[in-house]
Amino acid sequence: MVVAMEVDSESNLLQRKQSLYHSLDESFEMGKEVYRGQQYSQIYYARLHLMRTLLYSLLPNWKPQLPVCTVLGLEEGKECIIVGTLYKHMKLKPSVLDEYSKERSAAPLVQRHNFTHPDDNLVLEDESGRVKLSGSVLLPSTYVTGMIAALHGKETSAGDFLVEDVLEAGLPQQIERPIVLGEDKYVVFISGLSVGRSTSNPLQFQLFVDHITGHLGDVKEQNIAAQIVQVVIAGNSVEVPHGLLNGQNLGSKDQSRLFEPIKELDILLTQIAASIPLDIMPGSSDPANFALPQQPLHRCLFPGSSAYNTFRSCTNPHCFELDNIRFLGTSGQNIDDLGKYSEANSSIEFMERTLRWRHLAPTAPNTLGCYPFTDKDPFYVETCPHVYFVGNQDKFETRLIKGSEGQMVRLICIPRFADTGVAVVLNIRNLECHTLSFATQIHS
Amino acid sequence: MANDMETLGILDEIQALVSDKLQVVSYKWLSRNFLVSSDSAKRLLQEFVEKQGNDFEVVYSLSGWLKTSPSTYHIRLVSAPNLAEAKKEFSDDCSVQVYSVQACIPKDPVALWNAEFVQAEELFRLPLSVDNCLLDNRFCGVSNPFVKRNGGGTIPSTTTVPQVKSAALGLRKSNSTALAQPDQKKVQLPSPSASLPSSHVVDTKSESRGTSGPGQGSKLAAEKDKVAQLPAAKKAVQSDKSSAKNGGALANMWGRVSTKPKADSVAAATSDATPNPAGNAAQICTPEGVEDRVSDDDDQQVSIRRTSNGEGNRKRRVIFDFSDEEDEFKDAVNLASPDPPKQKSILGSKQSPSTLELEKQEVKKAKEAGTKNHEREREPLPTSESEKSKLSSSEMISEHASLKNATIKDEMADAAPVSPKRRKVLKTRIDERGREVTEVVWEGEDGETNADSNTMKKADNKPVKSTGDRPPMAKKSPALASTAPTRQAGKEGNKKTGNKDPKQGNILSFFKKA
Repeated sequence: MVVAMEVDSESNLLQRKQSLYHSLDESFEMGKEVYRGQQYSQIYYARLHLMRTLLYSLLPNWKPQLPVCTVLGLEEGKECIIVGTLYKHMKLKPSVLDEYSKERSAAPLVQRHNFTHPDDNLVLEDESGRVKLSGSVLLPSTYVTGMIAALHGKETSAGDFLVEDVLEAGLPQQIERPIVLGEDKYVVFISGLSVGRSTSNPLQFQLFVDHITGHLGDVKEQNIAAQIVQVVIAGNSVEVPHGLLNGQNLGSKDQSRLFEPIKELDILLTQIAASIPLDIMPGSSDPANFALPQQPLHRCLFPGSSAYNTFRSCTNPHCFELDNIRFLGTSGQNIDDLGKYSEANSSIEFMERTLRWRHLAPTAPNTLGCYPFTDKDPFYVETCPHVYFVGNQDKFETRLIKGSEGQMVRLICIPRFADTGVAVVLNIRNLECHTLSFATQIHS
Repeated sequence: MANDMETLGILDEIQALVSDKLQVVSYKWLSRNFLVSSDSAKRLLQEFVEKQGNDFEVVYSLSGWLKTSPSTYHIRLVSAPNLAEAKKEFSDDCSVQVYSVQACIPKDPVALWNAEFVQAEELFRLPLSVDNCLLDNRFCGVSNPFVKRNGGGTIPSTTTVPQVKSAALGLRKSNSTALAQPDQKKVQLPSPSASLPSSHVVDTKSESRGTSGPGQGSKLAAEKDKVAQLPAAKKAVQSDKSSAKNGGALANMWGRVSTKPKADSVAAATSDATPNPAGNAAQICTPEGVEDRVSDDDDQQVSIRRTSNGEGNRKRRVIFDFSDEEDEFKDAVNLASPDPPKQKSILGSKQSPSTLELEKQEVKKAKEAGTKNHEREREPLPTSESEKSKLSSSEMISEHASLKNATIKDEMADAAPVSPKRRKVLKTRIDERGREVTEVVWEGEDGETNADSNTMKKADNKPVKSTGDRPPMAKKSPALASTAPTRQAGKEGNKKTGNKDPKQGNILSFFKKA
């Protein structure tokens, strides 16, 4: 009879929809990079070179009448355009030296979540030199170190450069989005699972797993679940007890405590991978490297789920195409760092800025850990994605932005699931977004 | 309809689980446990709630679009009294289904998840080469034929393992029939579960339970105890038995017999030296482990010593057929055997075992209670697994028993040219899950390594701290073996080691080495 039941349930089993996946992570993968003591200057040089070529190409359409100067070639009172890297001089920027200097102990050493200050000022530099920027057009609070822009203005008698207008790189070219997509297909984004945290609620994640794998709910709900073609886990999946890691050898009990969250995650991921293609990205709390681009979590961490062809351990940032829709996203470090060194009303605004600056992580390597690349800047956004997502934010936000050349980008802030119980679902047919929220508080 | 009968059976079981064992029965747990689809499981729970929902607390899962924020698909769990109110927040076509039934609503909702996760963990620990309902997600409502899974690199070894184990199963069966003494039958009576291929734990436990059962003369009980110990030990060595079969030649057996006791005592010693705080089940599943534990308190030692006393005639009887497990058995006894002065008391205890027997009963009862939950948890699983033709049930047994090490299946050391004299060698390595695994490897024959490592794995199913102890002990076994080339001598050697505390033996061997 058990067999009979299985048979009759199989007869009306829904088929999960499929879509074509194409990984574009190569640029974020560390191939043969070897650290030979190189400094970070090369990454700035590569960035400036790339962006300046791009900005120069835009200048004829912007202000064709104006001459282009280098910093060294500036003349007082002469209007011109200069292109270079912004440096933001910040009073509150934490310096490791502060902790050791006695004279400056007046400055508070407490950890702040934002280091901006009204006195912050910007400096533009290129290979030839640097010049202090002034004027009200360029707000220091909006910009960060490492961003590259073209500035229109003139040198004042004080030696400052009075900025009259700013040109940012703008949204890059976008590949054509397939216009006719017949059917709804969903991509689910989730981040900040924090498995192993004392306050995390595994039941919530289990409900999530059960929903997307088609266990939960009636036929109608399972119909929705069957249209999910991809799950993306955007970082911070586990929270290992860092207190255990003190440089000493671990006892076996501590080792198992350290490993237990990862094992639990593996069991849950196995349930997802057995049903849906799954991309997992490393995040700041995951057992991966610290410096961006974070390399894929090792498959050995997930002996169960990595056995599936649906399981992909990806880099952070992560870029892929699904049915010719291009996705680009990070686990949130880049946006979090912007939040520390600049100001905006919401995370989504930071996201929009990074896209318009054509750079995923302008603050790397200044305040954001980053590998010292010598020949490239992997965070330069060459092609505009259709979907740009960032994990581990405080709350769900989404916005559809349009570029000057008809680009359309869906921006998504994925909230931390462990805190909010919210995952984000995107319909790749029309780039519409909705949330999936879970509550387990049973009022008794 | 047959369906109805089956359904009723399941419903009764649900009731038993919820009311007697206070377990949370969620639809997913039910589905995995009785191998029905999730949807059927939900229907079953619904039926159960309709029939006797008043006696239990029901948690519903409520899902649908929220009225207040239409772009949110919300899924929440609610208790029955709050269901109507919660429904108002959802748009009209929301889905309401039974999520779980339980005796009372837990304060921490995570408690709903525990039973399910324990189950998932158990399924997860099964060998990765074989699909189970966790790994292929077969009970969900949405199928994805494009999902492929490879065995995770363990395929080559796992294909060989079941064969060995099924051989072990066959042997075990034949053994138990050969053993078929009236005593043993009686022993098995009180616990029908022992006949099920559930686990080592269950078997050993139930048998010992049988011995301590009421209405049996103390002397008889004492006699029976021997018997009970014997099969227990036998099961422990079933894999060794199979290896013996594989080995074939009787000469091989003899050759090995002489060396084996040492190695085994070593094995037991290690498990003794590493008390495992976590594992009731995990640890008990090695009979050596059991007896080690038992030897911790004096009352229990008596019973074991008694078996060692009775060993003489038994040995004579089975010597040719079961020389191996006989050895093993004797070995286990020797392990537990105490200092010489105490051995005298054995005689006394045999003549008037009643008081001791009583004490022992108490201890055993306590133990029984301790493992009871565990047994129950597992009992249903074998039935579920019986469907899988790929696995022999004996594999299931060992897998269940050794929860922690289900997937340790790497290849053993290469086969050296077969020689009649083989040695057990302890090898420590890091397995694919990053745990430290110490295995006993037969140097000299390949086929046995798997089986042996099986028993060993049980012994050290947790990464063991005291692995530092092991290398010296491994050294010890060949050394002692050479002094005891014949079976008789081997026995003597056993006694020697038996007289000492296992740990002392270690120290001694350390000095020998030096």
